[in-house]
Amino acid sequence: MSAAPAPPVHEPAWSLSRSAIWLWVTQGVLGTLVYGVLVAVFVLAVPSSVGGPVPVLRWLLPALVAVYAVVAIGIRPFVRYRVHRWEVTAETVHALTGWLSRTWTLVPVARIQTVDVTRGVLQQLYGLASVAVLTASSQGTVRVPHLEVGVAERVAEDLALRAEQVRDEAT
Amino acid sequence: MTEGGVTEGEATDLGQAAPEVTAPRRTSPLIVLVHTVTFRQARQVVPAAIPVVAAVGVDGVGVVVALVAAVTALSLLFAALSWWRSTYLDTASSVVLTRGLLARSVRTVPNDRIRGVEVEAPALHRLFGLVRVRIDAAAGTLTGGDEEVVVDGVPRAEGDRLRTSVLTHRRTAVTPAGTDPSAPLPEEPAEEELARFDRRWLLYAPLVASYLAVPLAAVGALSRLLQELPRDLRPDVDGPDLTDVRVLVASAVVVLVLLALGAVAGAAVVNWGFRLVRRGGSLVAVRGLLTRRHTELEVDRVRGGALVEGLGMRLVRAARVNALVTGLGAANRRGQLFPLGPRAEAERLLGVLVDDPGPLTPHPPAARRRALVRAVGSGLLVTAAGTVLTLTTGFWGVLAAGMVLTVLGVPLGRGRYAALGHATGPRSFSVRSGLLVREQAVLQRRAVVGWQVRQTLFQRRAGLATVVACVGAGSGGYAAVDIAAADVAAFTEAASGRWATAAPTDSPG
Repeated sequence: MSAAPAPPVHEPAWSLSRSAIWLWVTQGVLGTLVYGVLVAVFVLAVPSSVGGPVPVLRWLLPALVAVYAVVAIGIRPFVRYRVHRWEVTAETVHALTGWLSRTWTLVPVARIQTVDVTRGVLQQLYGLASVAVLTASSQGTVRVPHLEVGVAERVAEDLALRAEQVRDEAT
Repeated sequence: MTEGGVTEGEATDLGQAAPEVTAPRRTSPLIVLVHTVTFRQARQVVPAAIPVVAAVGVDGVGVVVALVAAVTALSLLFAALSWWRSTYLDTASSVVLTRGLLARSVRTVPNDRIRGVEVEAPALHRLFGLVRVRIDAAAGTLTGGDEEVVVDGVPRAEGDRLRTSVLTHRRTAVTPAGTDPSAPLPEEPAEEELARFDRRWLLYAPLVASYLAVPLAAVGALSRLLQELPRDLRPDVDGPDLTDVRVLVASAVVVLVLLALGAVAGAAVVNWGFRLVRRGGSLVAVRGLLTRRHTELEVDRVRGGALVEGLGMRLVRAARVNALVTGLGAANRRGQLFPLGPRAEAERLLGVLVDDPGPLTPHPPAARRRALVRAVGSGLLVTAAGTVLTLTTGFWGVLAAGMVLTVLGVPLGRGRYAALGHATGPRSFSVRSGLLVREQAVLQRRAVVGWQVRQTLFQRRAGLATVVACVGAGSGGYAAVDIAAADVAAFTEAASGRWATAAPTDSPG
């Protein structure tokens, strides 16, 4: 990834709230716990005398969980934070999301139909909220995850107002 | 609660605009007979009836006859009640439907939310001279999956009146005020024929997967039925001697011929007498042998078209065309403008819908490498697994399958790459992809409501990207797969506008 070529699109300027990292870390911990419990139950409940692939699985599954823990807790949140970007300009809203695969979505303010702000359970713990900007197309939705609540609400309000003023009826 | 309140409300609401408003109408009483035969309303009681029948038990001819009579009487009763309790009313501002046996439901669809009107005449309806009118409302106007409003069972003349009336009202609702509302309804504008079905095109049908599926489904249903028959009713035929090669070849030929005939017959039933005309601001498509379908689309809402060619269709240069229309539910069925015909004809029709953006630009060599790697990769994986298996257990089946897959992957990847292309013109742009079903979407610039650019890890390495034009019509997004990452900004800007580069603007944000 060091010799990554120039991105195909203009990179949005603003990053998410730093709390997003800790939210992703929490999600990674929770995921690891769930997988860990499942694998522990498997290892304790299924003796290796069953045969077949079980002896291999008894050490392969815990190893996979360990790898998942390292990636989901130690690597992914930080890479995601570096990749995720968003920006609202005079004409457009755009966002870059993902970590290995990257998705960049761009919507002109004139074509915005609704702006949603949602707060999940974990997000409430960290004082975060997600903004979704919807258009007439099911695929043309700009999602900006994990902004500070105040920022998210201001952005949603501003966009809804501006979309009202310059709305283009032709969808 | 009562229908009267609603209709009065409507009447005062539209006031001077509609001199011809009348009382709510009922559909033709003849529809009761149609619905009795098809058990349209009585179907709902079937789940309740089954345990009753099971408890009583079915033995003897008398019980069966009594059951049939009872069910028919019940069906007649339900059909009559539902006919008696349903009304419809078209006013200058909206269409109002009332229905429901006990719980009344009143549905009001404002005229400016109506996207099109479809008049269809199923075979049984035609027997009684009736038609069914479907009114398409903009998606999202109505709750639930019921996106259309159906007036089932009016005489043909009334159906045509309803269609004209709804469409005329919609036009006057759209046109700016100032026109004299009391003026007589304008005459139907002159028609311009855009396409007409040629019976020779039915010969393409055996090469189209969806038409081939028709006889296959029929064969499946028939064999099920044959198995359900009691043993003594089944014809006692000796199976043919399958060891004889000539018998095998002959039966294969017979099966193929029957399949082809079935496909042609299926295509004929659906597309018989297809005609596409432009009437005023609408495109009107009529087709069907048993069920006559009459679909009307507004030209103003057309955002582009899709030229679709299956693998078999490409062999004989056949194609079909779908119109991409905003706010149209069930777009594949209702947007179909050209069901099946020569490619040249399809391209001409597409040119009527949207400007031709010019010849397609092929995608960079890296895209071909990626297509090949993806197609061959799965085969190589199977080959590797097969090699391990051969070495450990001596079983070579997987290895052979892997090798075949790998070899097949080469034409597969090449085919996938050959389908790729994009083009931009002054007022439209185009993207094409797909191996089995190749789809070329040609869209107007104004159709774009957003862009999505995707890059996987491998695409980033290869300097490629997939660009999806988000459109509020058709499938919602049309992708230019694997174009050069450096060309993305130029493509999106040329295909939609300056905003699409998202470069920081000089004006304060």
